[in-house]
Amino acid sequence: MTRALPGMALRALLLAALAFAIIGPLANLALWSFAERWYFPFKLPVSWGLRYWEVVFRPTGVAMASLATSISIALLTVVVALAVSIPAGYALARLRLPLRALIMIIFLLPQAFPGVAVYINVARIFYGLGLTGTIAGVVIVHAAHALVYSVWITSAAFAAIDRDLEFAARNIGASALRVFFTVTLPLAAPGIIASAIFVFLESLDEFTGTFFVGVPNVSTLPLLLYSASMGGNYQIASITALILLVPSILFMLFVERFLKADVLSKVGR
Amino acid sequence: MPARRLLGLLFVAPALALVSALFLYPLALSIASALARPDGGIGLENFAKALELYSGDMVYTIFIVAASTVLIGLVAIAIAGYLTIGETPWLLTGLAWLYRWPLFVPFIVAAQCMRTFLAKNGLANNTLVASGLIDAADTVSLLDWRGVIITFVWKQAPFVTLLLAGAMAAIDRATIEAARNLGARRLRCLIEIVLPQVAPTLMVGLILSFVTMLSVLSVPMMVAGSQPTMLTVDMAFRINAYGDYPVANALGVISYLMTAVVAWIYLRQAMRERDT
Amino acid sequence: MRMYPIVLAAALGLCAAPASAQTLNVASAGDQNMVDYVRDYLGPLFEKTHPGVKVVAVGTGPGDAGSQKIYEKLAAEKAAGVPTWDFDVVVIHQKMAGQMVGEQLLAKYRDRIDTGRLVTRDTAANALGADVAGYVMPMFHSQTALAYNPDLIKDVPESYSALIDWVKRNPKKFGYNGIKGGMSGVAFVAGWVYAFGGGADQMMKGPYDTTTKAAWDKPLADLKDFNKSVVITPGNAGTLDMLNRGEIAIGPVWVDMFYTWMAEGKLPPNMRLKLIAPGMPGQPMYYATPAKAANGKLAEEFIAMATSPEVQAEGIVKRFNWYPGIDAKYLEGKLDQAAWQKLFADISPDELASKGEPFPIAPYFNDILEAYERKVAN
Repeated sequence: MTRALPGMALRALLLAALAFAIIGPLANLALWSFAERWYFPFKLPVSWGLRYWEVVFRPTGVAMASLATSISIALLTVVVALAVSIPAGYALARLRLPLRALIMIIFLLPQAFPGVAVYINVARIFYGLGLTGTIAGVVIVHAAHALVYSVWITSAAFAAIDRDLEFAARNIGASALRVFFTVTLPLAAPGIIASAIFVFLESLDEFTGTFFVGVPNVSTLPLLLYSASMGGNYQIASITALILLVPSILFMLFVERFLKADVLSKVGR
Repeated sequence: MPARRLLGLLFVAPALALVSALFLYPLALSIASALARPDGGIGLENFAKALELYSGDMVYTIFIVAASTVLIGLVAIAIAGYLTIGETPWLLTGLAWLYRWPLFVPFIVAAQCMRTFLAKNGLANNTLVASGLIDAADTVSLLDWRGVIITFVWKQAPFVTLLLAGAMAAIDRATIEAARNLGARRLRCLIEIVLPQVAPTLMVGLILSFVTMLSVLSVPMMVAGSQPTMLTVDMAFRINAYGDYPVANALGVISYLMTAVVAWIYLRQAMRERDT
Repeated sequence: MRMYPIVLAAALGLCAAPASAQTLNVASAGDQNMVDYVRDYLGPLFEKTHPGVKVVAVGTGPGDAGSQKIYEKLAAEKAAGVPTWDFDVVVIHQKMAGQMVGEQLLAKYRDRIDTGRLVTRDTAANALGADVAGYVMPMFHSQTALAYNPDLIKDVPESYSALIDWVKRNPKKFGYNGIKGGMSGVAFVAGWVYAFGGGADQMMKGPYDTTTKAAWDKPLADLKDFNKSVVITPGNAGTLDMLNRGEIAIGPVWVDMFYTWMAEGKLPPNMRLKLIAPGMPGQPMYYATPAKAANGKLAEEFIAMATSPEVQAEGIVKRFNWYPGIDAKYLEGKLDQAAWQKLFADISPDELASKGEPFPIAPYFNDILEAYERKVAN
């Protein structure tokens, strides 16, 4: 069926407008990253350059330290989150739990309540425990916030495993523990890795909790972005934002590999 | 098998402990703090003070989050609908590739993007002026409630679209084909055939978005001015400038109530559907 | 590409770091330029004369909120009975300084350093009504003023009253940040209350009288009306940014931020300042060291260095465009005329003396903030 040309042109225009709306803000970020001097009434930067990249990446600079802090906090968060979610996910998927529905809802609750008030009180509790401004405090907060993803996804990953494979292994004499480590866990691995990546990204990008619990000693990239932006240093804020985007974009491009359809369909059961 | 059930509870215990200690307990604390009187006892003074100082901001918050949710729904339905029923190949691929980009952009990065994109002489306006669509003197700064709504929709719509597209892909295409064969236009197909079948997923996505937007601190702080502003900024200001936990927590409880109302509406709808 | 040596240096730098014997922790409230001052200038300078010491600077955020964070940390550590506290040097605003001295969180060190006698201004002993003599050294004195673009404004107002008329004729061309997100907006509001609320002297010096705020009803109602024709910006930097982009033509700014931004190409070079009558507030920031700092002696040496005439001339005045913390006469000979004149290009020393005001004393300060929230913002 041939379409009339005006119809085709309209569609193209709509797509272009949508592309501008979606990619424009991101392109703006890139623009600011390479601007050195930019003031009214110029529509584009007055001078371009890599000066602010040097500022951000120099060894004494704070950006490298913040990046290192952000990454180490994210990795620790993944460890903590997985350590509690793998047993929890297995129990929810396999073992018959009393009050199973209630437990699933409890894990969903942190997503159901606006978080600022909760973080304020967590910070207050942490003051008494001496955990504010420490990496440990921030890791705990990030892990609790990310639990909903890690528990639900690992639970779905375990539920999607074909039990016949496990029965077969038991039949030829393997102990329950051996079956878990040699059959169950490897089969659930892609789903677990997916939840690990979700948790990593959530932790890397987390701002609100770190704002209340981590300041002033713990400086993560989002906090750096915030203070650079509020201080009017848009170049540094934009470069920091670009750094933050890299892991997210990488994940977006590769997520298909890890989140298979059968795992996704079991989320929430 | 009591031993097995005990094992199950044991496995879940650490995760439950983490959630209880870091969410349920602070939640209870915030409610207690909001209801506390300076001289001990329970009262609503903190709420009275919160209303006195921030009633305008409460209305502003509800308005922004509600408007954003509606817009997100419309955008998600439009994009997911086209992806399901559309027929132009290049448009389908382009759309599918395009809409996902904001999905993995954290709110704080989105806020930074919009801070300069939506300004009076920001990239958006400059591009419109350069392409001759508006006059340079007529450019308008969107760095107020409109900017906040735009940022929220930009960031959250792809997520709901993703959920919706997945749900739409899972419905039986036969229902769509049947309607098309009878001569229904595609838009009508979308509204009368597809949408009712994916309504539950849409509701879940919109409610998640509603709650998420009520939790965001970075966007209202960075994109808009401070008057009026969203409750999250007021809560942070109350703590940082005055150390005033009771009123900040009162504001927190009010935001819980906002989500509770929405959740109640959703549950009522779900109950009603189950009965029919 | 030039990145490779930088990355290599970063790796080597990270490896070399553990070799330092001592770390001096400096916590600074205020905008990013304050943190940069320690990180890029004072830190390296101190490390040169004290090999083996590493200076670590953290920023706690702009405005009194940033100082509040430092106060909370020290108060929590005092309550917990920790033997040594996390911060060695703190850079704080006046309001919190008064509170910290009141709760015995700071060391009385000024008599122990030789630069202690170089400051005789009232602000070294009096922080918004609280007696802080001996506990603090002023780091700099700053001043707010209205920044404007002479290309866009031909008839710049000279006083608050003139500003009200000007804004009526030119709506949405004036912007300030309210009272959240930055002290330039707070300064503007305080100046408004001084101008129209009566009793300015009592607000600046005390004694505190709870009935004074009743006289503010009319001025605050006028301010609410005034706000309808102005733009509310996101913060100190927000105002400067909007001035930069020509979205507003005039707004209150900190003089030092104004000059620094201009030097960095973030403001058009033709912009000017105007200190309007009857006056606008300014404030010092203070150097202090916590009572139980881990490296108290080192902290005192750091502060002595930071308040020495050479550093005040080169760092405070020349690089960062602040008015000096110690008495100006000690800077004679350390600073070239051009740098000195630049500071007074738009605001003469006489104007500064007659129209530069302190912020109100702490209880009035809080009254003004809360009255604003209650009557103007809501």
